[in-house]
Formats: sequence, structure tokens, C-alpha cells
Amino acid sequence: MLFSSPPWESAVYWSLDLETGGLDARRDAILAVGMLPVRDGHLRLGEAYRTLVRPEQGKAVSPRSVQAHQLVAGDTRGAPALGEVLPELERRLRGAVLLVHHAPIELGFLKRAFRAAGLRWPGPPVVDTVKLLLRLDQRERRRFPELPADPPVLNLSAARRRLGLPDYQAHDALTDAVATAELFLVLREALGARRLRELT
Amino acid sequence: MAALDPVSYLRATPPFHALPQPLFDAAAASLEVGYYPAGSRLARVGGEPLAYLYVIRKGAVRLERDGQLLQVLEEGETFGYTSLITRKATIDVVVEDDLLAYRLPDAEFQRLLGDAQFASHFAVGLAERLKSSLEHSAITTFQADLSRQVGDLVRRAPVWIAADATVGDAARLMRAEGVSSVLLRADPPAIATDHDFRNRVLAEGLGPDTPLARIATSPLRTTPATAPIHEAWGLALDARVHHLPVTRGGDIVGVLTSGELLRASAQGPMAVLRGVERVSTRESLAGYGRRVAEMAGALLAGGLDAAAIAGFVARLNDALVHRILRFAEADLGEPPAPYAWLALGSEGRREQTLLTDQDNALVYADEGEARRAWYEVLAERVNADLELAGFPACPGGYMARRWVGPVAEWRGRFEAWLDAPGPQALLEAAIFFDYRRVAGRLDLAPLDAVLATAVDRPVFLRFLARAALGFRPPASLLLRLRGGSTTVDLKLQGIAAVVAVARCYGLELRTEARGTLERLEAARDAGILDGDAVAAAAEGFRFLNGLRLRLQLRAVAEGRPPSNEAALAALSAMERSRLKDALRAVKTLQDRAAFHFKTDF
Repeated sequence: MLFSSPPWESAVYWSLDLETGGLDARRDAILAVGMLPVRDGHLRLGEAYRTLVRPEQGKAVSPRSVQAHQLVAGDTRGAPALGEVLPELERRLRGAVLLVHHAPIELGFLKRAFRAAGLRWPGPPVVDTVKLLLRLDQRERRRFPELPADPPVLNLSAARRRLGLPDYQAHDALTDAVATAELFLVLREALGARRLRELT
Repeated sequence: MAALDPVSYLRATPPFHALPQPLFDAAAASLEVGYYPAGSRLARVGGEPLAYLYVIRKGAVRLERDGQLLQVLEEGETFGYTSLITRKATIDVVVEDDLLAYRLPDAEFQRLLGDAQFASHFAVGLAERLKSSLEHSAITTFQADLSRQVGDLVRRAPVWIAADATVGDAARLMRAEGVSSVLLRADPPAIATDHDFRNRVLAEGLGPDTPLARIATSPLRTTPATAPIHEAWGLALDARVHHLPVTRGGDIVGVLTSGELLRASAQGPMAVLRGVERVSTRESLAGYGRRVAEMAGALLAGGLDAAAIAGFVARLNDALVHRILRFAEADLGEPPAPYAWLALGSEGRREQTLLTDQDNALVYADEGEARRAWYEVLAERVNADLELAGFPACPGGYMARRWVGPVAEWRGRFEAWLDAPGPQALLEAAIFFDYRRVAGRLDLAPLDAVLATAVDRPVFLRFLARAALGFRPPASLLLRLRGGSTTVDLKLQGIAAVVAVARCYGLELRTEARGTLERLEAARDAGILDGDAVAAAAEGFRFLNGLRLRLQLRAVAEGRPPSNEAALAALSAMERSRLKDALRAVKTLQDRAAFHFKTDF
């Protein structure tokens, strides 16, 4: 079993970020999707996929979320419907690893959307950069028990800054996907993970 | 939708900023992002050439050849094009600081070369880089801009913390701000660094509640923003600090780290100092000599004069001796009584530019005599380690392994030389009287006191001066260029004459200064040597040292042993003319000394 997990860079990771109308997958709408692959340990910007999504009937867009993603009804009115977008996601995620920052929320939205559209969720292995951040934080605490303990930094922008990555414009789905993928590369190195299993 | 951040960054980076939009868009569609931790080797000479053009977004890479550093590239700079154009890996590319880079595949780069403006950007860079990597050795072509002001290096405002902050507060603030030092708003202000947290907090068993003021350092060693970079190096080296607050109009505008000073010139003294501090085993001493030669070459190319370079070499050699002594003491135990490690000759005068023979001695307090063997072992160890580091053993044998003894023994020896100045005594006095304490806690006042009596022995000074006149500038050169001789020995026929005369004046004046220029200036200030002669001799001394250093570095770069010989045919007309002026100034100085010390009577 020890060698059954592939070397980490042999897997294809699709870094994905959703802009949503809120945090409640049952109630709130998916407004935008951004995703791009990491192949051979490198982000491929040319293969990036980004689209706005027309909100479904009855789904909410909270005013607070608009402040963050800056998407108003006029922006998404002419966008493709979720039913057209999901097959694009499904096609990319097949045989790949899903890479997200804070999996519970994105997964909640995605699984619910797939179910509602009558599509089967492809069930990819998931790598969550928040989980990796927690793991790194634990390791630092074990190594430097003398240093004062702060709550770990889990916010995407703040975590990137702490690990020496440049500031990117937050809350654009594709930019956040790029930001997440870069953060993943740094965390993978910092944790010394060599196999996919050590990352999921 | 707005352009992706990496794409807009690339767009703002020369030469991509000038590309026509369609061409740029096509290229950007192939952009990749990679992360490479410090220490990764991206290319190796003779190995696979790079297959991408890289643009650095965060971090830094070193370009090296034969282990010699050619350049450090940072944010916004590109690399890989030499590989892409020549299809060969001619340079080692090593990640210096964790690197986030954007990269374009070879095919895209080749397509972009179709744009004339884009291609010309790389044509210039390639020519420069090839020149420094292939045609010449790095030593002779490296250019550092040493006239830049330290203020230009400051990237961000300093991070301050309240006077009553704890160590834990400071650690949290430093982590949040991503800095390695913090300034304490106290009176006077103080500084605390990563090193302090390790050495003064953790290693001392202190906790995060310790007041920061207890472990912070004050007063601050600062540098004005207008100081040239090489002055800041000097400050950092002398104070042995890694963080230098920069002031402008009384305010602290930033804190420079040794890393930033290092990057201002990858071959500057900070780089060598870092190397010294990383010396952890005797095996790792071996590269030291080469690094000093590289540094001297870089500084000379950067326009620093030989005397200033010698100042850096001396400070670094001192740091190395400190390190070596610390190793030795760790093995041998506490010294039985205080000692002083002495540098002699040119090292004592801080006038050594390349690593020449070792000239050193060990003196210890008289109480230590019962355990003489301890000092003999110490001397042997240090001499051997210095040899490993690239200082050859002295052929005349002026090394601590032979010249080790208690103060009383040294006093007797010094007095014997002064009282009976025979040829051998004069030779040894000339070397030993330039002594300088490099390390150790022994008070050298008893030896200084003997030196101060030289002026009471006119016979000694007269003989020492007569010996100084024995270094003769070539007579034919004084009148005509290209007289009978085809080579000049820059040391014996020029530099040594100035050094020897200056020593006589220094001993007469009981000046503590050991440097040749300082001794001459002291003679001028005391009114026993005229200002014109001093100015001309000082200028000549600087020129001769600079010329010798340049020729020696060239020899090292070409794999020849460095010598003091200058072939006249290898000099430019201007250099020959200045050489003549310099030798004339040496002769004038000797004439003044002959009269002053009455050598003919």
C-alpha cells in the first residue's frame, strides 16, 4: 500500500473557486466559476476556465456577497445557466484532483448543484489548502513550543502574505483559483509531501 | 473581466510592456506559474538548457559559473534566454530565495523574438551575460555600482513597537509584517532581531512575557541614507550586526538587512562575511581564499580603491580568525591566561588585498607561562586552519606556531632589536612593529610602551630608515618610460619603499596608527614632512596598490600565481605615465627621509 499513492506532481489538480450569493448552499446562488489546472507542478494559465453563471430561479444573492464579488444582476443576466456550466466542470474534474481553499463550502455548493441538475458528482480526490495550512501550523507549534501561539492564519490573502506570496486581487473566481494553486505549491513544499496521499 | 494578476504583471514587465497586444495575448495564453524553493538548481553548466523564459515574481536566483557568482536576479527580472537562444546551459541557475516565477515555453519565446524591439532587449542582455560568462572570467568583468546610496535600498518603512511590549508581542508583529527586526519606541530607540530571539530569549530560557526592552539592543548603529553602499558594509562589519537602521534628517526611514546589502553586490564583503559565519567545520574553510579574491575583483571593478578594499579584506580576515579561535577554544578549553592574536606586516597595517603569506604571532600574559603548551597548540591549530582557508604558510616563518610567548619574552625581543639593530633585527622589527591585535583580551600596553621608546634610540631609527632606502625605484624609469627595464617589481621597487619610510615616521611620532597613509599624514601634521611630498607619495602608493591588485586578480583569473611584477608592455600609455609619476613620488619621499633621519651620517 505504501507505494500505491502516485507522486504528487504526476496528478492533475484543478484549482477551483466559486463566487456565490452567500455561504448557504441550499439557499444561495452560484454566480461565477474559475478554475485552472496544475500539471507537472506548474499552473497552466492558458487552460484556465472562467465563466459567470446566471442565478437559478429562487436562489438568493445577499448584499454582503455583492460587496465582495462585485457581481450585480446585470452582469450575470446574459451568462450561461448552471446546467450548461456543470458539464464543463465535470469534464475537467474527471480523473483529476479537486483543489480548493476551504473545501466544505465549495463542495457543498458543487454537490448540491450536480444533484439538482441530475448529474453524477465525479467524486474526485480533494486537496484543501485550509487543511494543509492547519497541518503546517501544527507542525510549527511542535517545533517551536516556546513561541506564543496565535490562531492559525487561514484567510487566503493573509495566508499567502505570510508565506511570501504576492498580493492578488481577491474575490474574482479565477484569480482566487490561481491564488489557491500557488498557495498549494508553497504548502506542498513546506510540508515536504511527496505523494498525493499525503495531501488529501 | 479584468486581466489575471500574473498576466498584468507580465504586461508591466519589460520587454513585454512594449509588445503589440495580439502578440502579447497569444503569449500570455501559454503562461505558466511555478514555485521553486531556495536551493533548487534550475540549470547546470553543460546540462539540459532551460526550456522556458522565466520572469521572477517573488524571490531571487543566483547565476553562477564554476562556483563563481555572476549575478543575483530579483523581482521583475528575466532569465533563461541565454539557454533559449544558444541551446546550451552555460550558467548555473540556483534559487537564492524561494522563487515564484512566471514562465513562457520556448516556442512562445521564439515567436516573440520576431518582434524587433522585444528581440533587441535580449540581444543586449545576452551579449552582456555571455561576456561575463564565457569570454572573460567573472572576476575581471563584474560591475557593482558601489556609489549607490543606501537610501536607495530601503524598501519599506521600519516596524515600530511600544516601549512596554513583550517579546511575544514583538514576535507576533514581526510575523504579521514579515520582517526580521523590530524597533522599540524607547529613549533611546532600540532594536530586536530574529537572532536576539534565538540567542537572548530561547537560548537563555526566557519566555514570551519577557519585556522586549530587556533583550533589545541600544543605542542603534545607524547609517545616513546618503552614505554609499560600501560605507554601510564597513559599518555592518565593524559592529558585527545584520540590521542597520537608515536615517534621513534624524528620522529612521527603514532598516537594511545584511541580505539587502548583500544583494546590492553579490560579491561584496557581506557575501563573504556570510560565508565566514557559515563556516561550521574545518573542511568548509577551503573556499575562503577564492571568495576574497572574487570580492576584491568586484570591488575594484566597482571603482573602490585598493586601500578601501584592503580595509574590507582585513575586517573579513579578522572575522575569520575570530571564528577559528572560537573553534579552537571550544576544543582546547578556556585559555589559562589572557592572550592576544597579532597580525603582522601588511595584515597588521590592514593593507593586504589578496591572501598573501601568513604573518602572525601569539602573545600571552606572563601568568600563562606555566601552561605554554596550551598556547603552542592553539597557535598550531590556527596556523593550520588559516592554511586551509587559503593563507599560505610564511616562507620566512613569521607565524604564531614559531612566534609564541609571554609578554616578558616579547618585551625582551623588542628591546633587543631596538638596542642592536643588525640586518636581521631590522628585518624582524619591520614586520613585528606593524603588529595589530586581531583577537584576544590581553592588554598590549607593555609592548606599545617598548615601541614608544624607539624615538629615544636615534641609531635604531637611522638604521631602519637606511634599510627603507634600500627599496629602490628603477632609476631608468624615473627619467624615461621604457628605459632599460621591461618589468617593474611593484612591491620591492615602489610599495615597500613607501611602507618602510612611513614606518620610520610613525615610530618617531609614537603614533598608534599602523596604516602607511595614516603614518604619512601624521608626519605631515607634525610638520616633519612637507604636504606636497605626502600628497604625491600617497597618490603614488594608491596607484601602485591598485595596479598590483588589478594585475594579481587577472593572474588569479587566468590560473597563474599572482606576482608583484608588472610588464611595461602590458600597460596602457596612460598607466605607464602614471607609473612613472608614482615612482618619482616614491623617490622624493625617500630623499626627504634620508635627510630627516640623517641616513648618510
